Amino acid sequence: MKIIFPDSTTETIEGEPVSVGWILHLRGINPSEVIVSRNGKLVPEDVVAGGDDEIRIIRIAHGG
Amino acid sequence: MGSCNPVTGGAGRCTICGAPPVIRMREPDRHLCAAHLIEDVEGRALRTISERELVKPHDRIAVAFSGGKDSTALLVILSRLLPSWDGVSLVAITVDEGIAGYRDDTIRAAEGVTKKLGIEHVCVSFADLIGENLDTLLAGRETQACSVCGILRRKALSVAAHQAGATKIATGHNLDDEAQSVLMNTLRGDLPRLVRTSDADSLDCFIPRIKPLADIAEKEIAAYLFVQDLFPFLPECPYTRYALRREVRSMLSSLEQKHPGTMRNLIRSKRAIEKQVDRREISESLRRCRQCGDPCSGELCQVCMLRKSLGK
Repeated sequence: MKIIFPDSTTETIEGEPVSVGWILHLRGINPSEVIVSRNGKLVPEDVVAGGDDEIRIIRIAHGG
Repeated sequence: MGSCNPVTGGAGRCTICGAPPVIRMREPDRHLCAAHLIEDVEGRALRTISERELVKPHDRIAVAFSGGKDSTALLVILSRLLPSWDGVSLVAITVDEGIAGYRDDTIRAAEGVTKKLGIEHVCVSFADLIGENLDTLLAGRETQACSVCGILRRKALSVAAHQAGATKIATGHNLDDEAQSVLMNTLRGDLPRLVRTSDADSLDCFIPRIKPLADIAEKEIAAYLFVQDLFPFLPECPYTRYALRREVRSMLSSLEQKHPGTMRNLIRSKRAIEKQVDRREISESLRRCRQCGDPCSGELCQVCMLRKSLGK
């Protein structure tokens, strides 16, 4: 599974499928401050991702 | 964040129709698909407008339109509601503060959205208003960025709205913004500002300001736009790092995640205080600025005080 972070850096992780919420939790990202897409489609944090999924984390607070 | 489990969930379906969900709402706890999220967000905005009587027949609404997500959602929602209102018109107003590497992108995004929606668009700049852009004004005083920018932005918006013949100014403030403001005003001990309300009841000399998205969370707004391919991927304002709001936002969103309902409770507290307080007793009476004649509470309005402090 490939994870794309708000700053456009990426990380590839192997292993068992995990929930999107867990992915955020392990990286200290507050779910209230982001939306997450799986393979281009918006998903809630309790959706599970794994395999060849591409997870994109989008920060929503910008100010201005 | 603390209650996460590696593989919990995944079986959620839209609570209304059973389609794949795009968001989990916490108050009340439910999942919504894209279609029902759109319906829910637009329905709540309409309810806010109706309950608070924010729009009247033949209003000309100036939408404060930065091109960011909140004002984009506001403009989209108002443009969809427009046919149901008698004689109401919209004009989008974008303020160009003159922030290098930031505002040009958002102005381009704003122009694209207004063109797509077929809405009149006006752009006004700090350079027009005060003869300088924000970057120049702030040289050496960057920590004051948000207060300086806020004063000038309100003024620029007000001037442009008057010129456009607006009867209301609509801003994209969402539930998170409102809760942050309550906490910030409390932290500053600013009771007059805490109980100040702008829901279409402003004094006669100001154009009333309305906030149709005040009941919708920032995340819901972002999701609403994303599922319609309208989410603006834009850079962050370079001055936000100096803002108290940034710290308050982070603190409140953590609390909201651990204790859903925190933001609504804060706003509820503010409304309870509003009912108990006589605003005339704690606010200074309205006067005219001796420099420019604009309504203000002191001898000089905030813009003229700012001009003075900047030597302009």
